Amino acid sequence: MKPACASIRRARPLLGTFVEIAVTGACRPAMEEAVEAAFGAVAEVHRLMSCQDSNSDVARVNREAPTRALRVHPWTFEVLKAALDLQSRSVGIFDIAVKNPMEPCRSPPFQLRGSLPPPCPRGREGVGAVSGLRSVPEMPGNPSVELLPGRGVRFSGPDITIDLGGIAKGFAVDRAIAVLRDHDVEQALVNAGGDLAAFGPDAAVVSLRDPRDPRRVMGDVEIGGEALASSGRQVDPFRRSETTDTAVIDPRTLRPARAAVGATVRAGQCMIADALTKVVMIVGEAAASVLAEFGASALFVSPGGDLRISGNWQNTVRLAA
Amino acid sequence: MSGWVRWTLPPAIVMTIVHPVQAVEYLSIPDAQKLAFPSATQFAEANVVYRPSDIAAIEKLSEQRVRTRGEQVWKAQASGRLLGYFILDYVIGKHEVIDYSVSLEPDGRVRRIDILQYRESYGGEIANRDWLGQFVGKTSRDPPEFEKNIRNISGATLSSRHVTEGIRRVLAIYETCLR
Repeated sequence: MKPACASIRRARPLLGTFVEIAVTGACRPAMEEAVEAAFGAVAEVHRLMSCQDSNSDVARVNREAPTRALRVHPWTFEVLKAALDLQSRSVGIFDIAVKNPMEPCRSPPFQLRGSLPPPCPRGREGVGAVSGLRSVPEMPGNPSVELLPGRGVRFSGPDITIDLGGIAKGFAVDRAIAVLRDHDVEQALVNAGGDLAAFGPDAAVVSLRDPRDPRRVMGDVEIGGEALASSGRQVDPFRRSETTDTAVIDPRTLRPARAAVGATVRAGQCMIADALTKVVMIVGEAAASVLAEFGASALFVSPGGDLRISGNWQNTVRLAA
Repeated sequence: MSGWVRWTLPPAIVMTIVHPVQAVEYLSIPDAQKLAFPSATQFAEANVVYRPSDIAAIEKLSEQRVRTRGEQVWKAQASGRLLGYFILDYVIGKHEVIDYSVSLEPDGRVRRIDILQYRESYGGEIANRDWLGQFVGKTSRDPPEFEKNIRNISGATLSSRHVTEGIRRVLAIYETCLR
């Protein structure tokens, strides 16, 4: 391969983390153009779904949807639809609703922190079909998010605020991958702070940080044409090397998730992988049926220090000695 | 439905850290300049050296500490016309150094941000002031021995908050010294 056609790797701070895009197999100007366009897609998702930006779709919806239906960008609509589907399939464990409307945005942006009681009484059919999951108790009269024809969004009551932080990062990765596929690059990898997806002839090897100690690599997994997302305790490399408590909140207890100290999910779409990491963090092994519904696999580290890997995934995970 | 396979991991605390230091160079300074200002024909050095009053002003505006004596700045120009500013900055933590560039329009609006280099170190080099000194006012560096293979890493999300804070400081530098 000619050096001019090797590969490029770029990074920008977006979505509250570092987004890295690597592409291979085109000439350099074409690769730069592809990467630029892919970052453009990520920035667009950031612009639409950041709850800190008062002009974002999410901020607009939080301001106005309690009183009237409003139209959102097709991408926002797509994410909301997926979020409600995930919420229903996980019997309310995955939840984009924030309880306290006085605190609409939980910083840092793009992190699922508190998610609160179950806003959504509808769409709960099939609860019984999900075995092993203790559902979030129904709270009659709780407001919910309604999606209307023509990309409309309305809340059924005043006391509701949403935060797409638990799913938008994965969606941004999917959008960037879609852009890169439209460009003539052979191989690509998009990594938004650990939520990543790749395509191309060679499988990408991804190292998994040990959620108990971010300096340590726990093992490697290979992915090709699919996505991987991880959730765990927060790492702020500038403050301390130790991890802090997880940002994922169990909507049943309103306390940090306790079933796992870190979880990684492999799925076809990064948006799905991103959202399912929260479910695994909260319910651990009981997530098996939801994972199966999405054709996803997972691994997680239990609070006791055991690693659990989905039976269908163990062959591609190489653990560090 | 597939079940779960269980492994016992060695305790993280007992395990010594052997995983090599990670460094990624994404962009050289000239490459980053060209990407930010493709039509520029010249990047003229316009480095800023702070007066004591500048430091106070920047710290007040940005609510960030100023740790250097100045900032590396280039003016992007085409046929003598100012296209914008290219500012090189870095943030340093306990274990990481991130070099990044902030490209500004002539009126100070952010045009783009690029990460140039990311280095992590757990060997204490960063805490060493001499080692720190090598970053001050230089354009080329000899980094310590880093792992050659670039890893893709998934795990708990790294926060980019410090870069965001750094950008606030860079904007205050523009207001105080360049505007």
